[in-house]
Amino acid sequence: MSRWLGLIALVAVALIGAVVLGPAHIALRDLASSDIVRSLRVPRALLALLVGGSLGVAGASLQALVRNPLADPFLLGLSGGAGLGAVLAIALHVAGPWALPLAAFAGALGAMALVYRLGLVGGAELDPRVLLLAGVAVGAFTGAITTAIVSLAEAADLRNAFLWLWGGLSGASWDTVLVMVVYIPVPLIVLYATARPLDLLALGEEPATHLGADVEPLKRRVYVAASMLTAAAVAVSGVIGFVGLIVPHITRLVWGHRHRSLLPAAFLGGGALLLFADTAARVTVAPRELPVGIVTALVGVPLFAVLLRRWTGGGARG
Amino acid sequence: MRGLLVASLLAVACRPPADRPSAPPPPPAHRIVSLAPSSTELLFALGAGSQVVGRTTWCRYPPAALQVPDVGDGLNPNIEAIAARQPDLVVLYRSQLNETAAGQLARLGIPSVTLAQDRLEDIARAARELGRLTGRQAAGDSIGAAMEGLLRTPPPAPIKRVAFVVWDNPPMVIGGGSYLDQLATLAGGANVFHDLGAASATVSIETIVARNPDVILVLSDSTAPPAYSGRREWRAIRAVRERRFIMLPADLFGRPSPSAPAAVAALRRALEAEGPSRQ
Repeated sequence: MSRWLGLIALVAVALIGAVVLGPAHIALRDLASSDIVRSLRVPRALLALLVGGSLGVAGASLQALVRNPLADPFLLGLSGGAGLGAVLAIALHVAGPWALPLAAFAGALGAMALVYRLGLVGGAELDPRVLLLAGVAVGAFTGAITTAIVSLAEAADLRNAFLWLWGGLSGASWDTVLVMVVYIPVPLIVLYATARPLDLLALGEEPATHLGADVEPLKRRVYVAASMLTAAAVAVSGVIGFVGLIVPHITRLVWGHRHRSLLPAAFLGGGALLLFADTAARVTVAPRELPVGIVTALVGVPLFAVLLRRWTGGGARG
Repeated sequence: MRGLLVASLLAVACRPPADRPSAPPPPPAHRIVSLAPSSTELLFALGAGSQVVGRTTWCRYPPAALQVPDVGDGLNPNIEAIAARQPDLVVLYRSQLNETAAGQLARLGIPSVTLAQDRLEDIARAARELGRLTGRQAAGDSIGAAMEGLLRTPPPAPIKRVAFVVWDNPPMVIGGGSYLDQLATLAGGANVFHDLGAASATVSIETIVARNPDVILVLSDSTAPPAYSGRREWRAIRAVRERRFIMLPADLFGRPSPSAPAAVAALRRALEAEGPSRQ
């Protein structure tokens, strides 16, 4: 129980920090009346929580699905698809304030469909190893097309598509928060409902089948739901690395391998990590801003290394 | 750690110290490949347009430059395409990649000159140097003197606080170490991000709100306000709410240019035309 209280307290501290701290100085007593706080900091903090949480849950589910500790929400080609979508939107002059997010979302879903199709061995069975290879291949291929478009096309704006793809949470607003609040419950509930069979799947497909899990539909459901979460995250905040890789491992060290508690813990942990990272990105080099993906790596990787050493008893020898 | 130190020392050591030393005036170049939009414009302004036999994809000003064959985007120069134009002078923009290109050209026996073109003072220096190399010394000196004159003019008292927003996600602004900042200062616009030393920098929307510019300057040939002006988070900025955008056409503002005096005058007029702020 105290683990949960600790985690919730961590999220609360991260949320408060994100709202109180920022490049503009706002006195504590003015917080409630400040337009900067109301229309920029609060939605950005909430978006960080939702995106970080989605990435944490997507990462934890995918690691169980492909039974590979390196699995990350972006390993399966989604970031490449999103980048291609964004670049195409700019190259084809699709205008409008929501053009880029929608195009990136469509690109990510396209990559997801392609990887899924390639991962279906013999047209029926979803093979996790093939899925991983297909993800890496589709990611590389879409990346190559994107780079070709950017280097051949004549719009200087195209270079900025890459900036957008790594843009982090700069685009946060109440609109993006609302989109996420409406959208993510469905994939989150789908994944949470598969928590018990996911425990079995992590043991291996054969044992899972023997223990009564309906493995094929389970794998599809997990893959699609985790990808839907990632696609939404990339559409509102670009590619943010390490959260989906590291948070599931850290939460697994504390909460063990049961997905019924692992998934909610990964949501809160991912949210807290991204909140801290984004606050650091906004504050440390103010008035400039760091790309948040750099901060998630700088904060997440050492934390991960410390836990890993403790977990393996001060470093495995022999 | 030590490797890092050595690497950074090397980076400093390898950085081209300044424009290449001026050798005694060579015979004027007749076949010039220009690999930066600003040097192409400068060559045409010197009256040496007919001597230009190659340009980059981005060199589109003056319109006559479009008649010159395109040898690529110029960022990582395509040496073969350049050599095929049989140039007797290649004009390169000062960058790390172009240092390599200059070496490759030298091995082919093709002379090159590397010019910084980032600020007003660079244009003055580049104009004199290119004038000398193209046999149009008088024209070069005259453009150089005009640029130096502009730099010597005491800047007028600021009449508006401005911010150049060049990209929206992540928000990128133009800082103090830039040509556009120089133009704004000379036109009576105080760049609210002048304190940022870099030519451009990523900031958060919150910072733009706090710095509260009167007008947002946008590099764009379109007259429509930028797409982000319709997004809710951007409306936290007063100038966005009041739709105070000044569009700067690429021909005049897109690159450091000998028409800087005209750009300053155009920006001055636009700033004066902006009514007083509502607040």
